[in-house]
Amino acid sequence: MRPYPIRPGRLIAKAILALAGFLAVFPLVWTALNALKNNVDIITREPKVIFTPTLANISYILGRDSVLTGLYNSAVACGAAVLIGIVLGLPAAYAVARYPNRFAGDIQFFVLSLRFLPPVAVAIPLMVIWLQLGLYDTLPALIVTYSLLTISVIMWLAIPAFQGVPKEIEEAALVDGYGAYAVFWRIALPVAARSLIGAIAFSFVLVWNEFLIALMLSSSNAKTLPIVASELSQQGMNVPWGILNASVVLLSLPPLLFLGVLSGFLNSVFRQKKS
Amino acid sequence: MRRRSSLPVTFLVPTLAILLVLSMVPTLYAIVIALQNRELSTTGYSWVWFSNFADLFLDRRFLNAVWVSVKWEIVTVVATMVVAIGLGVLIFEAAGPRLRNFYCLLFIIPVLLPRVSAAFVWKFAYHPLYGIATYPYRLITGGLIFDPLSKPGTALFAVASVDVWQWGLFFAVIVLKLLETLPPQPIEAARLDHAKRWQIHAYVTLPMLKAPLISLMFVKMIESLRSFDLIYVMTRGGPGVATETLDMYAFSQGFIESGKVSYASAMAVLMMIATVITFTMLWKRVQA
Repeated sequence: MRPYPIRPGRLIAKAILALAGFLAVFPLVWTALNALKNNVDIITREPKVIFTPTLANISYILGRDSVLTGLYNSAVACGAAVLIGIVLGLPAAYAVARYPNRFAGDIQFFVLSLRFLPPVAVAIPLMVIWLQLGLYDTLPALIVTYSLLTISVIMWLAIPAFQGVPKEIEEAALVDGYGAYAVFWRIALPVAARSLIGAIAFSFVLVWNEFLIALMLSSSNAKTLPIVASELSQQGMNVPWGILNASVVLLSLPPLLFLGVLSGFLNSVFRQKKS
Repeated sequence: MRRRSSLPVTFLVPTLAILLVLSMVPTLYAIVIALQNRELSTTGYSWVWFSNFADLFLDRRFLNAVWVSVKWEIVTVVATMVVAIGLGVLIFEAAGPRLRNFYCLLFIIPVLLPRVSAAFVWKFAYHPLYGIATYPYRLITGGLIFDPLSKPGTALFAVASVDVWQWGLFFAVIVLKLLETLPPQPIEAARLDHAKRWQIHAYVTLPMLKAPLISLMFVKMIESLRSFDLIYVMTRGGPGVATETLDMYAFSQGFIESGKVSYASAMAVLMMIATVITFTMLWKRVQA
């Protein structure tokens, strides 16, 4: 291979990359800093980098009932929907991956096509349905609606994960007298675990971040955290900016906790492709 | 060779049945509502058949929303792909293994954020007086005010920039991973022929990745349909109707302004038909 000398082109490339990396995280870092500022330090024409930090915004946010209820609703709705997604999605994905039949392609397309549905088209009729059933603005309504999302996403991502499990291991287990279900429980699940956790984490982030459906299906009791946060930000220009920034930070933390898991998942998907 | 087992039936049938019910009930019900004249304020309704649809095509605000949605779709998909391919190639060319991992981690962060968070972060950054993103402009011009979110000409692009910030950077990571899966021989051969770096990518690597890049664009087209959160938080469809996409307009018709649920549902049904037909055709073509 001909070695390339250091040229201006490479330096420019590095500079652009550094700039992009800066743009990727700086707005978020700035928000986190603003969450630690008093209002006078935020409303300045020159951005202030040096300031006396305060925890007032964060403690205000954590002390508000609406935020705590939102946090609770988000945790329950997303947790339950992801659990349902795991229980129903993983076995179905395994069946598609390991017991090929002539419908396998159609099933995969059907699961994917659920993603084409515009959220408004799902949310409007569901709102009317839940109103008629007397379940509007309740967590069970939200959980059932979110399950459609989690089941389809987990299934879609778990099919390739199960296909990545070497067939030989499963066949050896069958020869050893394991039943088909035991092979799923004892062999396929543990071997594919790493990719499956990535798929599950992805589905959690998806419903945690969901906004439109939650907005339409809740009015007071079942509001999730994104709705509460957006209401804080709609209070016009006189709002305490520090508190808003703190609520954004709180809302963004759970998905960011999965950063490591999801980037590992991405790597394993492409390693599979390479081999 | 597998023994006959009940597993595929017990594992597949319940899940598929639930998915079918959960997806078909709202879809069919959306059509039913669209043919009626339900409103949120009253409980009575009657069948009006296609008059909601007929009204839509005379509604100039609806036609504007169609146009805004098309613009949004084109702007975000094109910009995302350009940013993704550009940055992906740059990382591939200019970063060592350790730096690559570092950039991959950084570039995934924006897409993980809830869109409400991303929208709010940038709404404040674009604030004309105190925003960090408008600060350079204030600095250079000596304090002139630039308010991208409240000008009809720039609002759509300002909101789209947040979408590209989230998806363009994330897709750059995927483009990099795709480049890494390519066999090194064709690149070597091109180098021996004294091809320039950009030529190698323009004529060798990117054409080799044509199929996955098209799939990636397909994913982005689907995700771009979910613009509601960003627009709702950043502009609420404004200024005027400059950023009012179809889902924003359907929401405001159904919930904010008049509570015309049936009218909103008619809009949603049209969107559904358009997207399902378009994406089914595209998907079949991508798979073929």
